[in-house]
Amino acid sequence: MSVFRLLASRILFSALTLLLVSVLIFLILEALPGDVATRILGRDATARALEVLRSQLHLDQPALVRYFHWLGDFLRGDLGVSIATGRPIADVLGPRIVNTLLLSLFAFVIYLVLALVPAIIQATNRGKAVDNVISVITLILLSLPDFLLATMLLFLFAVAVPILPALATISEASTWQETLRAMVLPAVTLAIMMAVYAIRVLRDSLIEVLRSDYVRLAELKGLRPRAVLFRHALPNAIVPALNVTALNLGFLIGGVVIVERVFSYPGFGTLLIDALQLRDIPLIKATVMISAAVYVAANLVADVLAILLQPRLRASR
Amino acid sequence: MSTITSSPAKRFAGFDAARWRATPGPFKVGAIILLAHALFAIIGVFWTPYGFAEMGAGLPLSGASWQHPMGLDQIGRDVFSRFMHGAHIVLLLAFAGTILGMVAGTALGLLSGYIGGWFDEITQRIVEAMISIPFLALALVMIIAAGPALAGEPVLIVFVVGLVYAPRIARIARAAAMEIATREYVAVAELRGEGTWSIVWREILPNAANVLLVEFSLRLSYAPILIGALGFLGFGIRPPTPEWGLMISENRNLLIASPVTVFGPGLGLASLVIGFNLFTDGLSRMLGQRAVAGA
Repeated sequence: MSVFRLLASRILFSALTLLLVSVLIFLILEALPGDVATRILGRDATARALEVLRSQLHLDQPALVRYFHWLGDFLRGDLGVSIATGRPIADVLGPRIVNTLLLSLFAFVIYLVLALVPAIIQATNRGKAVDNVISVITLILLSLPDFLLATMLLFLFAVAVPILPALATISEASTWQETLRAMVLPAVTLAIMMAVYAIRVLRDSLIEVLRSDYVRLAELKGLRPRAVLFRHALPNAIVPALNVTALNLGFLIGGVVIVERVFSYPGFGTLLIDALQLRDIPLIKATVMISAAVYVAANLVADVLAILLQPRLRASR
Repeated sequence: MSTITSSPAKRFAGFDAARWRATPGPFKVGAIILLAHALFAIIGVFWTPYGFAEMGAGLPLSGASWQHPMGLDQIGRDVFSRFMHGAHIVLLLAFAGTILGMVAGTALGLLSGYIGGWFDEITQRIVEAMISIPFLALALVMIIAAGPALAGEPVLIVFVVGLVYAPRIARIARAAAMEIATREYVAVAELRGEGTWSIVWREILPNAANVLLVEFSLRLSYAPILIGALGFLGFGIRPPTPEWGLMISENRNLLIASPVTVFGPGLGLASLVIGFNLFTDGLSRMLGQRAVAGA
C-alpha cells in the first residue's frame, strides 16, 4: 500500500469516527427514553416553560429529523443558539477556545521540557540513584488526581509562598504580563500531568535506542556523547513518545476541564462545566463535539507523523 | 495450564516466605498499602470517632487538634470521621465500576476479536468513537443525560465508570483475542465442533487472563481518580455522602485556615492510587505483561 493510500484511509476513518461520535452524543443527550424537556428543566417545571423549551429544541419533530438538522447546521458552521444565554454558540465558544488554546500551548511548551529533561537524565544514568529517584517521583505524580495536584500547587505558590495569583480570571482588559502570570499555575499543572506519562515511555525507548547498533557505531566513530545523544538517539527515541503525546492531548482536553475549574480560568473547560450545570443541551453538544474533533485530529496527526518519520511503518501495513 | 487446575487450598499454601521474597518489591509495597486501605475502610464502616454526618462534633472551622486530626468542616462535622467512613465508599465504587467495565469490555472485545468480519468492523468503529470523546466529558454527559432522578446515586456512578471503561478494555481484549485465535488449540476446538461462546469462554478467555488481569488492575488504579474528579466537579455522589473527591471540593475554601482538612482526604486518595499503581506494576512484571498507561 502506498503512503498516500494509507494516509487517505486514515483521514477517511477519522471522519467516520467523528460522524459516529455525533450519533453517540445525540443518542445519549436527546434520544434516551423519557422527555428531554423535563430532564432539562426538572420535574417541577411549569407546562408553559416545557412548551417553550420543546419548540426551542424542535422536540416536536422526530429524533432522526432533528439529528440530520443538527448535523447539517454543524457542518455548515452553524452551532446553534445556547439555551441558557440566548446567544449564538459560536460567539460564546470563540473567545473560550482562544483562551484554552493559549493555555494549552503554554502547557505544551512546559510539557516538552518536563518530559525530555528527566527522561534524558534517567536514560543516561540508568540504574543509578538519580534514575530511581526520578522513577519514584514520577510514580507519585502519576498517582495524584489532577484536581489534587492543582490544589496543592495553588496552596504552595499562591497561599504558602504567595508569588502567583490563585485565580486565573483573565479578561480582555488584562495586560499580557498579567495573563501570562495567571496562566503559570494552570499550565504547570497540565504539563506535569502530561509529562509523567511521557517520561516513562521516553526513558524506556531512549535506553533501547542507546543500546542499538547505530548508536554504538556513532560512539565508535568518536562522536562526542552529547552529539550522539541529541543527533542520533533522541530523534529515534521520540517516535514511541509521539503516541503518548497524542494520548496526552486527549487527556489535556479532560484535564483542562478540571484545571480551569480549580483556577477559575475562563476557557473551554469551565464553559463545558457551566453548560452541563445549566443543562444547556445545544451548548453541551457543541463543546463535546469539538473536544472529540480535537482528539481525533491529534491522533491523526500523530499517526501521520509516525508514518512519515518511520519508514518501517509504511511497509508494514 | 496444569497449575491453574490445582485446588484453591493448595494454591494458598504456596504463599510461603520464599515466594514472598521472590515477588517484586513494588508489588509488596503496593499490596501492603492496599491492605492498610482495606482495613481502614472496614473499620470505617463500623466505627468512626464521630458520626460521619454529625454536625457540631466540635467548633466549626477550628483546625486540626488531637480530637479532630483533620479539623472540622463548615458545619462542624469531624473531617477525619468523614474520611474514615468514605474509605469503603471510594473502594466499593471503584471496584464495582471497574468490574462492570471489565465484564462488558471483555465480552465485547473477545467476541469481536475472535469472530472478526463485519461484527468486528462495526464494534471497532463504535469503540473508536466512544474513546474519541474525552473520558471526563463522556462521563459528565452521561450523568446529565441520566436526569435529575438518578443524579448523585451510587448506581449511576458505577454505570458511568463502567461505560467509560468498557470501550477501552474492549480494545485490549480484542487485540488479545485476535492473537490467541490463531493458535492451534483454538483450531482444534473449532474442529471438535465447539460453538463460538464455548470457544471464547473456554479457550480464549483463560489464555487472555494475564493481559486482562493487568488491564483490570490498571483501570482500577484510575477509578478512584475518575470518581473523585466527578465528585470534585459536583457531578458525583450526592452530599452528605463523604466521597473523598467531594470532600476535597467541599473544604476547598478552608485551604488557608486549615490545609490538613483539604489535604488529609487528598493524601488518602493519592496513597490509594499509589498502592494500586505499585500493585499493577508488580503484577505486570510477575505475569510478564507490560502495563500501558494512558487515557
